[in-house]
Amino acid sequence: MKKTIQRRLFTGVLVLMTTMLSGPAYAVNYQALVDVDVRKFQNYFHKEFPQVKLEDFSSGVYALDEDARKQWMEIEEFPPYELDIEAGKALFNKPFANGKSLASCFPNGGAVRGLYPYFDEKRGQVITLEMAINECRVANGEKPFPGKKGDLARVSAYIAFISRGQKIDVKVRSAAAYKAYMKGKEFFYAKRGQLNMSCSGCHMEYAGRRLRAETMSPALGHTTHFPVFRSKWGDLGTLHRRYAGCNENIGSKPFDEQSEEYRNLEYFQTIMSNGLKFNGPAARK
Amino acid sequence: MKKVLLLLSMVVLMPSCAGLLADQATTPSLIDQAEAARKEADALGYEWRDTAKLIKSAKEALEKGLQAESDKLASQALLQSRVAAAQGKYMSKNWKMMILKY
Repeated sequence: MKKTIQRRLFTGVLVLMTTMLSGPAYAVNYQALVDVDVRKFQNYFHKEFPQVKLEDFSSGVYALDEDARKQWMEIEEFPPYELDIEAGKALFNKPFANGKSLASCFPNGGAVRGLYPYFDEKRGQVITLEMAINECRVANGEKPFPGKKGDLARVSAYIAFISRGQKIDVKVRSAAAYKAYMKGKEFFYAKRGQLNMSCSGCHMEYAGRRLRAETMSPALGHTTHFPVFRSKWGDLGTLHRRYAGCNENIGSKPFDEQSEEYRNLEYFQTIMSNGLKFNGPAARK
Repeated sequence: MKKVLLLLSMVVLMPSCAGLLADQATTPSLIDQAEAARKEADALGYEWRDTAKLIKSAKEALEKGLQAESDKLASQALLQSRVAAAQGKYMSKNWKMMILKY
C-alpha cells in the first residue's frame, strides 16, 4: 500500500515536472502522460514474462511458447504470404488511369510503415496505413480497395515488408490526439459483448495462458506484424479484420474496418508498443 | 329474433376478436421496443453480436403467423439490448476501474 502511494506520488511529480519544463504555463505535455502509460504497460509484461526480451514481443504469442515458436520459424522460411507481397508490389506500382500510382503518394519508395498510425492535427483524426492507401486511390480517381483483406491487405503487406525493422515511435502532441488516444485506451480496457470481455482481459490478464488449444497472445507487440496470413482465414487480413474477429468472438457487434473506434484502438495499441520494431507481414494460426 | 341472434353472436365473438387484435398489437410493440433498445446500445457502441439477427428472426416469425415464437425472439432481443445498453453506460463511466493494477 505504502509502495503504491509512493509510486503514484512519484509518477504525479514526474508528470508535473515534465509539464512545467516543457512549455508555456498550464500547457499539458500529453506525451509525458502517454509515456507513463507506456512504461507501466511494458513493465507489466516484463514482470509477467521476465524471460522475454522487449524486442521479442513483436513475435506475438511465439515469444512465449518455445515449441510454437520453432514451428512458426519453419513456416516463416517459406511464408504463405510470399505471393501476396509480390501481388502487393505490383498493385503499388500499377499506374492509375491518370498515370500516377500508389507509389506517387508515399515517400521513401513506400517504406513508410513506421509513419503509421499518426494523428492528423488538421483533420482531427487518426490516420492508418490502410486508410492512407485507399485515400491515395480515391484522390487519384480510383475506387478504394474493398474490405479488410484482398488487395488492400496485399499492398499493406508489401509496404510492411519493405519497412521491416522500422522502429515504432508514435507521438501524442495535442489535446485532440490525446483524446483519440484515450478513446482507444477505453476501448482496450472496457468489457463488452455477451461474454463481458475486454481486449486487456484476454491479452494482458490471460496472456500466455490457454484458451482451449491456443495460447493467448500478449497485447505488447500486437500491432507490429500486421497484416497477417492466418491459417484459419486461409488468406491475408488487416489488423482491423482481426479486431472484428475478436469482437465477434466475445459476442459483440464488430465495428466497420477503418471506423473511428478501431483506428483509435490501433493508435493506442501501437503507442503501447513504442520502442519495438515493425516486422510484418507475418504468419499466424 | 334475427336481431337478438345477431346481437348475441356479436357479444360472444367480440372478446375473442379483441384478444386477437390485442395479440397482434402487442407483438409488433415488443419488436419495436427491442429495436429501440438495440439502437440505444448501438449508439453507445455496445450492441451485441446477435441482437439484430434476433429481431430479424422475430419479424420473420410474425410474418409467418408464429406469434409465440416471434414474442420469444423479440423478448430475447429486448433483454440483450437492455443489458448491452446498461453495460455500455456502466463501462463508459467505470472503464478505468478495469485497468490492471501493476
